[in-house]
Amino acid sequence: MQKQKKLIKLANCVLSALSELKKARLKEIQSKLEDVGSRSSEAIKDSHRFFVSIKKGWFYAAQQVIDKVSRDMNDFSYHMGRFKELIGRDEVYVPTLADIISELLQMEQEFEQFNFNPAEKTISVTTKSIVLEDISFGAFEIKLLLNDFNNLYAERPYRVIALNPNPASADNNVTHPHVSSEMLCEGDGHTAMSKALEQGRLCDFFTMVIGVLENYNPDSPYISLDDWEGMSCYDCGCTVSNDERYYCEHCDNDYCDHCSTYCQKCDTTVCLGCAYKCPDCGEPVCDCCTAVCEDCEEKFCKDCLTDGLCQDCEEQRKENENEEERQSEPLPSIQPNSVG
Amino acid sequence: MRILYINNDGAGFADYLEIAENTTVEQFFKIKMSGAQTSDYLIRVNRQPVPKDYVLQENDRVTITPTKIEGAVLSR
Repeated sequence: MQKQKKLIKLANCVLSALSELKKARLKEIQSKLEDVGSRSSEAIKDSHRFFVSIKKGWFYAAQQVIDKVSRDMNDFSYHMGRFKELIGRDEVYVPTLADIISELLQMEQEFEQFNFNPAEKTISVTTKSIVLEDISFGAFEIKLLLNDFNNLYAERPYRVIALNPNPASADNNVTHPHVSSEMLCEGDGHTAMSKALEQGRLCDFFTMVIGVLENYNPDSPYISLDDWEGMSCYDCGCTVSNDERYYCEHCDNDYCDHCSTYCQKCDTTVCLGCAYKCPDCGEPVCDCCTAVCEDCEEKFCKDCLTDGLCQDCEEQRKENENEEERQSEPLPSIQPNSVG
Repeated sequence: MRILYINNDGAGFADYLEIAENTTVEQFFKIKMSGAQTSDYLIRVNRQPVPKDYVLQENDRVTITPTKIEGAVLSR
């Protein structure tokens, strides 16, 4: 009896969510209709402006109106296309309470772990552990959010939560090649899943989500299985294996071979962003191995500075000193007239 | 004879169909999903698994749901 009550309560929640979805779709149609109406009014105003411009011989103004109409036409045809698509969609069929109860009973049979959370208004199915090409991703909880049903056409009203996550090394949010931030990339199943939800065919919906999770499409994963254990280069984003990553201790990030180098003075690994190319010897060095020239205040590698001066400044200083020395030497005594 | 056919393959499809009397589930699958393997689909009649020689009855609800679906990064 208690179980039946729970089932009816759940069926009512689903039914109410489906009604909200239908209402949301009708509201969307209303909003698009209003949009078409306002664009038509704008076209009537343009027509009047055009008429006045011609009547008064304002050809430049007339051309401006034509330009505006031309721009608006592109917009208008786009919006009309979307509107047509929206209206052309199959009518949302709201099933009966009996249909939903049958659906829920079927779910109990098909899925070992099926839960309803009345407080959150969520229905969850837990998958068995998913293994793809010898990589285990653990079990997933597919959580359908009944409160988000009305937003079905804009956002997926369900989450795919990894219960024992084995995320990609490059991105902790990717818990499965086709799941990122708990969102499934439905691929080929997108339309059929949406239709199943629209029609309250929950069992079909959950079966299809599991169908995506249990398969791997190497052509379009968030992160491919080949790169699952690798790291993402902080600079170029390419995936590199743990053996091929280079850590820059100056910025605390990991880089690939192409985006890192090593300091020519102390041999530490540095990324290209933290490495400094000495303007004198042209070699990359880390920040610790550089110093500022006392005279020109430019940064050089420490090896290219002598007594705190770069080569140019040192030469300049020597020249200045020689000059000063020359100037401080006593001038030769001037011979009296008619001598020498 | 009329049955309700729900095909969750591709774009999804749910409608009533006229079929010949004495059509088995296996024959129906071959007609509707030519070239496809039954092992790649979950087939239910009136929400229940049935043997392949089950003879479809008037008003049966037949569901064919793929179990191997290729996910892909999709923009919505």
